[in-house]
Amino acid sequence: MNRTVLVIGILITAAIVALFAFSFGRDPQHINSPLVGRIAPRFALRAVGTGEIVDIESLRGKPVVLNFWATWCMPCHAEHPILQQASRALGSDVQFVGVVFGDTEENIQAFIRERGEAYPTLLDDKGKTSIAYGVGGVPETFFIDRNGKIVAKYEGPLSFEMLQTYVRKVLS
Amino acid sequence: MTGTLGSFLILAALLVATAGSMVGFAAGRSGTPEGLKWAQRFAYAFAALMALATIVMETALLSHDFSVKYVSQVGSRAVPAWVTIVSLWSSLEGSILFWGFILGLYIAGTTWVNRNQHVDYMPYAIGVWLGCAAFFSFLIAGPANPFGTVSPVPLDGPGPNALLQNHFLMIIHPPFLYLGYVGMTIPFGFASAALLRGRLGLGFLRPLRASLLLPWIFLTIAIMLGGWWAYEVLGWGGYWAWDPVENASLLPWLTATAALHSAIVMERRGVLKGWTVTLVQASFLLTILGTFMTRSGVFNSVHSFTQSSIGPTILVFLAVAILFSVITLGFRIESLEAEGKLETAVSREGTFLVNNLLFVLLTFTVLIGTVFPLIVEAVNGRQMSVGRPYFDAMVVPIGTALLFLLGVGPALPWGRPRSDEVKRALLFPLIGGVVLAAIGRALGVTNIWTLITLLFGGYAAWVTMSEMWMPLVQRMRRGDSFGTALVQGQLRRGRRRFGSYVVHAGAVVVIIAIAVSSTMRTSHEARLARGQSAKIGSYDVTFTGAETLAEPHRQSTVAHFRVMSKGKFVTNLSPRMNQYQTMREPIGTPDVHSTLTGDLYLSIMNVDVGTQNAGVLMITTPMVAWIWISVILMGLGGLVALISRP
Amino acid sequence: MIALLLVLMLQTTKVPDAAQFVGAPQSTPLAGAQLDTRTVEIAGQLRCPVCQGLSVGDSPSAMAMNMKEQVRELLARGYTREQILAYFEQSYGEFVLLKPKFRGVDSLVWLLPLIALAIGGALVAMKMRKLERPVATAPHDAGDEYVNRVRQLVEKE
Repeated sequence: MNRTVLVIGILITAAIVALFAFSFGRDPQHINSPLVGRIAPRFALRAVGTGEIVDIESLRGKPVVLNFWATWCMPCHAEHPILQQASRALGSDVQFVGVVFGDTEENIQAFIRERGEAYPTLLDDKGKTSIAYGVGGVPETFFIDRNGKIVAKYEGPLSFEMLQTYVRKVLS
Repeated sequence: MTGTLGSFLILAALLVATAGSMVGFAAGRSGTPEGLKWAQRFAYAFAALMALATIVMETALLSHDFSVKYVSQVGSRAVPAWVTIVSLWSSLEGSILFWGFILGLYIAGTTWVNRNQHVDYMPYAIGVWLGCAAFFSFLIAGPANPFGTVSPVPLDGPGPNALLQNHFLMIIHPPFLYLGYVGMTIPFGFASAALLRGRLGLGFLRPLRASLLLPWIFLTIAIMLGGWWAYEVLGWGGYWAWDPVENASLLPWLTATAALHSAIVMERRGVLKGWTVTLVQASFLLTILGTFMTRSGVFNSVHSFTQSSIGPTILVFLAVAILFSVITLGFRIESLEAEGKLETAVSREGTFLVNNLLFVLLTFTVLIGTVFPLIVEAVNGRQMSVGRPYFDAMVVPIGTALLFLLGVGPALPWGRPRSDEVKRALLFPLIGGVVLAAIGRALGVTNIWTLITLLFGGYAAWVTMSEMWMPLVQRMRRGDSFGTALVQGQLRRGRRRFGSYVVHAGAVVVIIAIAVSSTMRTSHEARLARGQSAKIGSYDVTFTGAETLAEPHRQSTVAHFRVMSKGKFVTNLSPRMNQYQTMREPIGTPDVHSTLTGDLYLSIMNVDVGTQNAGVLMITTPMVAWIWISVILMGLGGLVALISRP
Repeated sequence: MIALLLVLMLQTTKVPDAAQFVGAPQSTPLAGAQLDTRTVEIAGQLRCPVCQGLSVGDSPSAMAMNMKEQVRELLARGYTREQILAYFEQSYGEFVLLKPKFRGVDSLVWLLPLIALAIGGALVAMKMRKLERPVATAPHDAGDEYVNRVRQLVEKE
């Protein structure tokens, strides 16, 4: 009986099983954002429609919900009415801002005409702002407190409950 | 009704496999001819049941019977018939049924071929095979059941995954891969039988080797087909991305190749039995690991289409299989007694050991690189990546060392060579190496690794050619005519040797082609209006127009390009962007002009039919077609070696 | 007129500047063919966040195109390779770097194959030496040739 083979073999089995068992339930597509806990990267972009420049730095003093989306993204369509409603309800306490990248102004205008706009929609033309925010896909939403610090990042379409939870976090 | 029939057949297969496995082990212990007969019957019964179940499924697919769950998931009236046939393996549940079908074929075939021989090993082997078969039947009957009944019956289905419908290579890549992967179960059964029996006689070498070589041939070609498919279909112009699933297909190939080589030492000198058995078992275990990696959803990969519940089940089987192998090895490896010895390290036998070391090192490195991000996340919570820069940095030196060995190994004589013999054998081929490197340099190669590859490659090519034709030359020296020498020496008597050297020749060309195609590649992006041209290499590419095409299952935008070179017309290329009904993002299909010297590859980045503007990615890749050609040559060489007399 | 110009000047879009993340450029700006080659090289070190393991250089997706453009711009402004990689690491996380760092736990991925080579080499050397010694075969009757022949034939299996 070769004890070395047995011991090494059982150790390898245990290691493999432990490693893979741990990895179940983890979504391999999900990436943790390193920006949480840091100051939100500064940018100023033009709003589609009104043409005014919105500078994120000027929004300090009030919590900000920064939502990255695009017109070709189906989950963003689902999320849109929830964000609109929340913005109308909380408008005085929390500033909502939308940033669209990888899209054209015509598409965004058409979308807004059809579905309305309760807060500024900014066009990130070359996607530079999205890169600075580490946006991997759409929709992604950043929750920024009144001091400009990113408190949380949410990937995927927000449900009403999730939005409530995060807004509460950012208001406190 | 069909669904119920299919489920019944699978359950029957599960019962037969489980019972047959126990019968096999019992027959092995008792050693009676009756026991063996019964084990054989169970083996045939399993294969028949699996074949029937597969026929039922294909019939359901072709008749668009949407009451069967799998058909409702991947069937569609809108797709061509060949796509329907092929959709058997397009999605998880169907592909496991396909696995079971091929496993049945292998088990029945091997049992039948060996029905009157090796009676001390066969019952145990059948026991192990049917044990694996039982697991896969359980998967098909339970977590991955394609035969459920759907009610109410839908009128139509979504069709198989869009990527399947893009290219013909998708028809042959999965079957070849399965024939390779599943086939590794057979030598695993043989190796386990030797361990259970406590003896590996040299007379058993032939079936062990043959059962390893056959799936090896399929797997070699399957890996190449995967790379070729990625190249032709995915639009980034490369053929290997060190994706976890690509790595999964490579790992068992590496250990199987090592095992094939150590088996040669085992045959010649009667040593390395335990080691060869270990490698054979590792090859099988790596196929189970590979199927786990592909289907569990744990890895971020091009192949992971679904996260499914099948993962934990496969993991349990993997653990059981590893434990079984470890225990049989631990208790029995010492009973596989050596029947000889090695003369000296500086001999061909010695190089086989180094060969094994390098292949196992490669396996370990690729495996570590693939699972390391998982380990770090489990231990530390951090997410990091291990990508191409790592794999290239590690694999290129090891691969180059293997190429060196490909030349030096066969050049060294067997046994205890005299030092002047050694010197002569090793120095002459250097001419080939230097010539090839010089040619490369003259043609513009500057990368140091590529030059080294050409040097070692030329050396290895010289050695391989001279070894390949040596029996022919010897016979002719003794007076035979060329014809007789060719037929008798190479094709009748020396097939195994000849075949092996054909494989080596193919391998040398593959390595050189990989080195040249990766380091001498040029790429260029251009934005062209209709009528405008761009230059790449010696080609002038003119955008001649874009149009949309509507087909029943997809809508495509095609951009046409006219390719000229040195004033002469070469070809028209039409890469396209396909929008499938069932996928949100369009899938691009590049168009490639392949010649023996190199490929011109065009892929659309964006295209506007309205303004007739196209953004195109152009890539020239020298020698890449040689990769596909020489791997097929390797497969043919393996085939020649397989159909040989001992 | 001047007022309009002033207003226009004040109201410009500002994309996030890499300076926020990695400070001022630490090298000379690049241009022409060298800019192209370096862009391709660095793009090959970054992982496309929306693809399955492809590098930014290889990926045809829009996100990767944007990132490649960003790399090119930063190189043109004189940022070094380390700065550019650090910039992407700070917004996307370590995940975006395809080449594992030689630091802490991560250095294991580079060291383990080397250790394996050393151990494997030692094992092979030991095995070769062991195999060179003649094998102690089981005692066969030197005498009975017939028995020996039969034994030989049988024990082939």
